[in-house]
Amino acid sequence: MTPENEKYNKVLDLLRKSKPELDSTEDIEREVIKMITKVSHSGLNLSGVIDFLFRWVYIGWVRRSLIATSIALVLVFAYQQTIILKRINFLSRQTIIIDRENGPAPADEVEKMLMVYRNSGRRFPSKNITISERQMKELLESVNELQLKYKDLENLIEGDPEFKKIIERKLIENKRTKINL
Amino acid sequence: MKRKSNKLVVSLILMLIVSCNDPETVVTNYVHPDGSVTRKIEMKSMEGDGNKRFKISDIQVPLDDSWSIRDSCEVDKKGDTTWIRRAEKLFKSIYEINLTYKSDSGSNKKLSRQAGFIKKFKWFNTEFMFFERIDKKLSFGYPIKDFLNDEELLYFYSPEKLKSDKENGPDSLKFRALRDSVKHKTDNWTAKNMVSEWIGDFSKLTAGKADKGISFQNLKSREDEFVTLIEKDDKQLDSLWKNGILLKEFLGAENALKYKTEADSALSIVTNNIWANFSDYSVRIVMPGKLIGTNGFIDSSHVLLWPVNSDYFMTEPYKMWAESKLPNRWAWIVSGLFLVFVLSGVIMKVIKKD
Repeated sequence: MTPENEKYNKVLDLLRKSKPELDSTEDIEREVIKMITKVSHSGLNLSGVIDFLFRWVYIGWVRRSLIATSIALVLVFAYQQTIILKRINFLSRQTIIIDRENGPAPADEVEKMLMVYRNSGRRFPSKNITISERQMKELLESVNELQLKYKDLENLIEGDPEFKKIIERKLIENKRTKINL
Repeated sequence: MKRKSNKLVVSLILMLIVSCNDPETVVTNYVHPDGSVTRKIEMKSMEGDGNKRFKISDIQVPLDDSWSIRDSCEVDKKGDTTWIRRAEKLFKSIYEINLTYKSDSGSNKKLSRQAGFIKKFKWFNTEFMFFERIDKKLSFGYPIKDFLNDEELLYFYSPEKLKSDKENGPDSLKFRALRDSVKHKTDNWTAKNMVSEWIGDFSKLTAGKADKGISFQNLKSREDEFVTLIEKDDKQLDSLWKNGILLKEFLGAENALKYKTEADSALSIVTNNIWANFSDYSVRIVMPGKLIGTNGFIDSSHVLLWPVNSDYFMTEPYKMWAESKLPNRWAWIVSGLFLVFVLSGVIMKVIKKD
């Protein structure tokens, strides 16, 4: 055995015999557990988030305040809706629905209806409309009157070749086409 | 201006009556949630020609060149032409509408009119109120509700078309009786207002110099007596006043002579106030969201409608108002989430405790 090897063995023996003395084993234990916990929960910790979010539950005054606010919100909501419903009910009982006297709405509505009619390929939207007997009568009368006027106009044009030519020329000029009713 | 109970009234109306060229006018206010208002005016007229047809001075509500204006015409079955002018303008706020009322040069320029908009944030909903108000004309008049019952009041404030429909409808007898009753009572109301206003104005004009016998309190205590006198001789009222007979009955022979000038001036003020130039029109309001309150009528297009007639604001301000609400969806969601959060916390605590 060389002197170097002897020296090495002596140091090794000495190290084996001298065990480390720990100051605070509890601290080390805690640290180790902490490290182990960290490793096992390296992703998103749901329970941690929940604990964080609901930490207020364990603080008495915050818990009471939030519960009181919730109750107040429910009460305010119930009160507001009750008042509104009462007012709407009262309104439906007291207001009188009348036929339109006059106003800008008819023109606007007719314009809107015409736009819808044109944009929908000249088809009325598939919904039910309610019209009074009087309105129906007026509509039928208007259609009859329109047909009569149309016939009169046709006769007038047919009876006057000069007039017919003028009309045809005008129609071509204006690129108008006869609308099939 | 429809109740002419006596000659004096008729003659005054004839003197003060406005031009027959007044267009049939409807003002529609489209109220937006931010307080801006799109105002549309539709005027119909069968009179006049060219630009004279819709003269600014004949129009019942403020209108000027800053409005977008469209003219059109309709020909009915009889061949009669109705000229229609439609005007539209977006007012950024109520303040702008009120400015136009102040600078109005139309036929109702003497009226004091205001519009108002109130927006209330109530967490779950936002409530809106829009109104148009016309101030009262008389200072010493009586409210119409003291003279008419609820049914009569409803008839009184109804649009003309509704009245005529009812009078010619299935219950025509009932509604004609109601019409007659309202007419009789409103005639009495007009006479009483006239006397009350005259007493008030006469007392103001003679303040400090009149005898105790013709003091305001004294004349007021004899008000019903005066009204009866007027209603009894309504056909000769004009001549009775001119000859000083009525005044002698009111004030006594000596005072009638002494205060003739003040009495005539007071009558002039009264007639100017009661039968001031006014052209009827209609107001319509379209509110944002759901309607929750109004004192108006709802027409077939679900738009609120009020007729504006000079009688309506004779003794009380005439306020046409509507209230609506828009739900604040975000507030509903926030509140719902908050409730779920608190409830979850409470449940969690209860579970952990166990």
